[in-house]
Amino acid sequence: MPRPDIATTPLLSVKGLRTWFHTFGGIVKAVDGVSFDVAPGEIMGLVGESGGGKSMIGFSIMGLIDPPGRIEAGSIEFEGRDLATLGEDEMRSIRGKEIAMIFQDPMTALNPLYTIGNQIEETLALHTMLSARERRMKAIEMLHKVGIPQPEQRLHHYPHQFSGGMRQRVVIAIAMIAQPRLLIADEPTTALDVTIQAQLLRLMRQQVVESGTSLVLITHDLAAVSQMADTIVVLYCGRIVERGPAEEIIARPRHPYTRGLIDSIPHESDVDGAKRRLSQIPGNVPDIRRLPPGCAFAPRCPRASELCRTQDPVLSERECVGDGSGPPRLHAIACHHPLTVSP
Amino acid sequence: MSGTRTGGNAPLLEVRDLEQRFDVSGGLIDRLRFSGGRISAPRRIVHAVNGVSLSIRRGEVLGIVGESGCGKSTLAKTIVKLNEPTAGQILIDGEDITHHDFTRMRPVRRKMQMIFQDPYASLNPRQKVRDIIMEPYLESQGGNVPDRAERALALLAKVGLGTEHLDRYPHQFSGGQRQRIGIARSLSVQPDLIIADEPVSALDVSIQAQILNLLMDLKDEFGFSYLFITHDLSVVRHISDRIGVMYLGFMVETGPTRTIFSAPRHPYTRALLAAAPQLGTKLGPAAGQLGGEVPSAIDLPRGCPFRQRCPLAFARCAEERPALLPVGGGQSVACHLDEPAIADPAA
Repeated sequence: MPRPDIATTPLLSVKGLRTWFHTFGGIVKAVDGVSFDVAPGEIMGLVGESGGGKSMIGFSIMGLIDPPGRIEAGSIEFEGRDLATLGEDEMRSIRGKEIAMIFQDPMTALNPLYTIGNQIEETLALHTMLSARERRMKAIEMLHKVGIPQPEQRLHHYPHQFSGGMRQRVVIAIAMIAQPRLLIADEPTTALDVTIQAQLLRLMRQQVVESGTSLVLITHDLAAVSQMADTIVVLYCGRIVERGPAEEIIARPRHPYTRGLIDSIPHESDVDGAKRRLSQIPGNVPDIRRLPPGCAFAPRCPRASELCRTQDPVLSERECVGDGSGPPRLHAIACHHPLTVSP
Repeated sequence: MSGTRTGGNAPLLEVRDLEQRFDVSGGLIDRLRFSGGRISAPRRIVHAVNGVSLSIRRGEVLGIVGESGCGKSTLAKTIVKLNEPTAGQILIDGEDITHHDFTRMRPVRRKMQMIFQDPYASLNPRQKVRDIIMEPYLESQGGNVPDRAERALALLAKVGLGTEHLDRYPHQFSGGQRQRIGIARSLSVQPDLIIADEPVSALDVSIQAQILNLLMDLKDEFGFSYLFITHDLSVVRHISDRIGVMYLGFMVETGPTRTIFSAPRHPYTRALLAAAPQLGTKLGPAAGQLGGEVPSAIDLPRGCPFRQRCPLAFARCAEERPALLPVGGGQSVACHLDEPAIADPAA
């Protein structure tokens, strides 16, 4: 769905994306009709629980969907090209150079047999005409930027000689070195400790803000996303249930699932007085191969009606309750009975 | 049945100066070092838990927080005697179990059960649910249990599962349901103390809330105590009465939950709290300020374990290891800055 409120043309425009997996057990509709835009320099958070389809959106953009998976429908427009229609050769010239990806596990994202210097320079060797000497200088500069001490020496070290946090810094350096226009980070700090996570989130934000890169941050951690993102997209069973400005989504969620997620997080105020029960979302995420008819969240939803169990809600946009300054911002909800917000 | 075995206010669990070291030297060949024309074979020792003391009263929840490698899981495993403690004492209900062998631990395990982090690895894939959850009880009864099926069903009901689940295998369940099975198993002997090692960190947020609620409901119903180990500050705040903060195998701060969160004293506790993401707040100036990483537990730093990352470290911190000392209000801190001589200028 186009977003007229963003004056600049979006860098990335995903429209009606469907990524399905044809398994023996049935069709897994991992991504089922997802649309969103990412503006230049924007930080977008894709949140949801396991099985929500958030990682598959990242893989679809990167052209990393392998059989039995397939992009069934929709377009992924990136700077005037539809990535969904490009061949592997063309994708390879985009991957790493214009769109880079950071994976969850820094232990497996690096090749244990090459020095990290090798792995950082590889991107430059592939995508630039720089000489070996220039590449080395750039790699040192980049390692320095991501906060790795003594980069000249560290260049010659192998991944196993780095701690988890340091490895993820190397991965960020590799992703950022070709100055991509878009960075996709899939659970980049989930495997790391809180103090290291805070260091890396800060580093990533600084890197994308300085270089004007757009960031799609994929995570299950609503708190981390609320600290970083301009826009939040909430996914449930392969579909967008809610999308809007980050503060709006956190402060005034309209979809019962988003509300449930937020309320599931133990809150600061719990410590005062009696320990309250956490408000929980009952039941489990359904088997995505056998989704119920109508709204996929209906079986767990306190507001569900007969309508919800028979008819798919459509993602529809309305203006946020704004403060009147700036252009109107849009809040999209796919729900027959959205929560009302008190003004 | 659970019940008071010793009267009075004796703590249910008491741990005194517990040390857990592991020799990771490997064989002699691996250890050989050549330097200055001399051959040596130094040992490499991981100092996982260093002189930790704690106590838990009946019905109390003690939360242990810390980052990976801080020794919190090792502490749990040593307390249930999955490790042989290197030094120190472990008392359950006043009974010293430090040197109990497997046979003597048997009756103790009826008082103390553990819930593990990974609901995929902690259930035997070849056992049916009814056998998994009854195993500790059968073990404690010598296998002679006539009303097995009814007991199993009652246990499942406690954790929100039903008859239809009795004859299924672990792989047929979701992560949250598996964790419920693990909890049912620990309930089977009606223990006094449940040691939970990251019981919700492998679960989705919405399922996390379900399991936390279940754990608190069960505590209310059976009145048992938890030693609750987690890296998640919002979880530990929610469930604990008291909190202990560990760093590099040392307990650096303990106190009532409210005090730890509102008035943390140790610089590490403060950094940890500042780093934890809060819903709806932008990345604060204090987040990510703590530089560096946890040093190696093989070569423990001299003096304070936190000094290399501590923004307030001074000369004495490199010389002398601070002891965990009470600072009033049930709070204890292991920091030279909080020792009476310094904290109180009049002294």
